[in-house]
Amino acid sequence: MTPVPTKADAEFFRKLKVLVVEDSAEMRRLLAALLESMGVKQIVEAHDGLKGLDAFVEHRPDIVITDGAMQPMDGYEMTRSMRAAGAAEGANPDVPILMISGHIGRESIVHARDQGVTDYLPKPLSASVLYEAIVAAVSKPIHFVETPGYRGPSPTRRLATRSAGDPAA
Amino acid sequence: MTDRSKKSHTGSKNETPPEVRFVRVPSIAERKLGTDYVAPMRLDPRVLDQMQTTIKGLEARYGDALREQLGTLLTLVEPACGGDTEARGRLYAIVHDMRGLAGTFGHPMVGRFANSLCGYIENAGARAWQDDTVFHFHLDAIREALESPGADPAITLETLNALQKLIAASTSARRHQG
Repeated sequence: MTPVPTKADAEFFRKLKVLVVEDSAEMRRLLAALLESMGVKQIVEAHDGLKGLDAFVEHRPDIVITDGAMQPMDGYEMTRSMRAAGAAEGANPDVPILMISGHIGRESIVHARDQGVTDYLPKPLSASVLYEAIVAAVSKPIHFVETPGYRGPSPTRRLATRSAGDPAA
Repeated sequence: MTDRSKKSHTGSKNETPPEVRFVRVPSIAERKLGTDYVAPMRLDPRVLDQMQTTIKGLEARYGDALREQLGTLLTLVEPACGGDTEARGRLYAIVHDMRGLAGTFGHPMVGRFANSLCGYIENAGARAWQDDTVFHFHLDAIREALESPGADPAITLETLNALQKLIAASTSARRHQG
């Protein structure tokens, strides 16, 4: 970790708008508290994929953090819909989407990648994993493929498998 | 934004391949900060410390929520194993929640026991609910882990192994019953 962040880095998080889509009230509380600790001031919360899609169009977030398993619409289907949304509909299909899931098998990760998930974070979530994933997602140029009905990360790219590390780390 | 377009080659004269465009857009940091942004963005150890303090601050509150959830689970086993689908859904949702959160808040063994029970429900499907033994043993283990968070890891791992053997025995018994 480089010990000297710039003033602009610190300022950045105050300008960031984050959409959190999560059906667990405890997890939403945790994510909101962690984002506030990072300096994020604009946090929009939604309880499931359908409400997440509405919030995505209404608030145009800079980054989306979503759970995988939710009812009635899960995070995978919501991601697919976000990637299929046209800019003309007021949405931003380029948005980085981080999925947090307890399912850390290869099949789940590949499925998430195929729907357009940017990064896949295992539960239990640690502060360092969340922080590093957000910084990585917002600080790198975004390379996308665009086909009819899809605009997002290449579905053929490798999506790294993170292990659920020490939660205290 | 750079834009490189290409048509994928399928080798068939009759097919019209979908157009694939490769797009590069500036990072969100570049868009938000403009020329003030100097890549790469640095990770700030003070921010990470603050995030960890936040988790510590939420731990006590989550411990109370966990005890409440455990109480609810104990009341749900009987109706769930008696065929109540709503109780099954609620029970699974709570255990799934524990699996995802307990480890973050300093209860890793609760998380592992919850993970074991979640896996059992997910793999066995409707047959999981035919016998309440697996549920009761898991909930006992979760209660034990909650009451003794500093317990010897070797003992808790032994409990986890015993639960896995119980699941295997239960699965095998159901298989023999057809």
